[in-house]
Amino acid sequence: MTSPTPPDQPGAALPAPGKRIPPSAFLAKPSRRHRGLWALLGVIVFLAVWEAVPRLGLVRPVLLPPPSAIPQAFVAEVRSGQWTDAIVHSLVHYFWGLLIGSVTGIAAGVLTGMSRRLEDFTSWVVRLLRPIPGLAWVPFAIIWFGVTPTAATFIIVLGVFWINYFAALGAVQAVDRDLLELADAFGHRSTLAKLVKIVLPAASGAILAGLRTGLGQAWMSVVAAELFGVPGLGQRMMQASSLLATDIVIVYMATMALFYGLVDMGFVAVRDRLMRWKA
Amino acid sequence: MIEIRDLSLAFPNPASPDGRTVVLRDFNLSVAPGEFIAIVGASGVGKSTLLRVVAGLVPPNSGTVSHAQGGGPLTGRRPYGLVFQDARLLPWRTVRANVAFGLEGLGLSRAERRRRAEEALALVGLADKAGRWPHQLSGGQRQRVAIARALAVDPDLLMMDEPFGALDAITRQSLQDELLDLWRRTAKTILFVTHDIDEAVYLADRVILLAGSPATVRSEDHIATPRPRARDDSAARALVTRIRDRLSDLMDGGGI
Repeated sequence: MTSPTPPDQPGAALPAPGKRIPPSAFLAKPSRRHRGLWALLGVIVFLAVWEAVPRLGLVRPVLLPPPSAIPQAFVAEVRSGQWTDAIVHSLVHYFWGLLIGSVTGIAAGVLTGMSRRLEDFTSWVVRLLRPIPGLAWVPFAIIWFGVTPTAATFIIVLGVFWINYFAALGAVQAVDRDLLELADAFGHRSTLAKLVKIVLPAASGAILAGLRTGLGQAWMSVVAAELFGVPGLGQRMMQASSLLATDIVIVYMATMALFYGLVDMGFVAVRDRLMRWKA
Repeated sequence: MIEIRDLSLAFPNPASPDGRTVVLRDFNLSVAPGEFIAIVGASGVGKSTLLRVVAGLVPPNSGTVSHAQGGGPLTGRRPYGLVFQDARLLPWRTVRANVAFGLEGLGLSRAERRRRAEEALALVGLADKAGRWPHQLSGGQRQRVAIARALAVDPDLLMMDEPFGALDAITRQSLQDELLDLWRRTAKTILFVTHDIDEAVYLADRVILLAGSPATVRSEDHIATPRPRARDDSAARALVTRIRDRLSDLMDGGGI
């Protein structure tokens, strides 16, 4: 943001009383560049401090490898084929966990939001199940599915499900009653017509926000779900840490950050397209 | 054309001795085709509820609303068009798609819906705004879109629930004149609810005063003054004063 020229400044064109001076494009541009520069500077300082800490001997490099050691570790990991292997496995878990968790969560949330009776019916069951973290399901996941990709996917589904369930439930319950009356007044009286023409579009913003939260939550669950031995990036991180190969651990942390960033950017682009009607 | 007979409506109310509050009692009204009827009354008297009963949104406790099809068969049409106080546009639909809202489910082709929506938009002078989003319009424009949406279904009866109540005075006056113009061109029958007596007297052929609890018809005035009417017409001013006096007498006398 540019700050407007103080009106009392000598030589400044006097604006009409009560009117803000519109920021000119000429002034706005450097400001946006400044913001970008500050963001970049933040990253540089962060990396510099990180680099300095092990190099100055404040922490042993084996406990915290400097960032300059990471590219080399990354190349070695890719060359060995382990990186691609782990990523492909994890992406498969991520994809299915996200898909199943989101679809079932949104469907359950929308249905519950549309029916008072269903909400009452499920309220205590939801209260019982919701606080149980995904990781607490690991024993059952192993008993039911073994140490398999299905077990990992199951853990991810659970985490993603609740986020989407509550987002969709809240969104549907918050739909303006007046809009439902409008649907009645113009002949759209069936539940299905109201769902399609009013409820889903009206709730779409909050549902998409839930979906986006799920994108991040699913990555967290991927690591957790693979820690118990299902092949993937979580498992590879555990192996690396037991060998004190901390640089490899960081390679995977960075990989996750990168994938999350890409997925999130793609999601935001799609969302902005869908929500272009918003003011 | 529209016959409302002995209409009564009560809402459940646990606090009252008989467990309900009667909102409306023995309401009768016959509306001739092409007539412009205004229903006035204090806020909360039940005017809006009356419209909702007539539109079939709320079932009455007793009485009937019969609807002789004056405007021809109801294919590709709806019997009623409603305009609310808030424009109530769907923000995720373009202006054109908002106007086409009531046309969906009538068995019309997409092209036909589009044509009818654009016709209705042209009627309210917003043909060039068809592709806009509602948030890009002014309050007056939004309400005109709402009127276009109601007209697009080619209703026998256009019902308006304080449609200009939320607009500023200048926009309100220009929309009143636009509505009269629309009414003249489309020959629609209009049931117009307002708490603004000036507005009712300026617009309508007949002004019905609704007052009391439960609400009943307290007076009915025919206004023969041809249009265009002057806003400062002395006969109209006198009628506004009479209706206002009646309303305050009713309030003072505990009639409300």
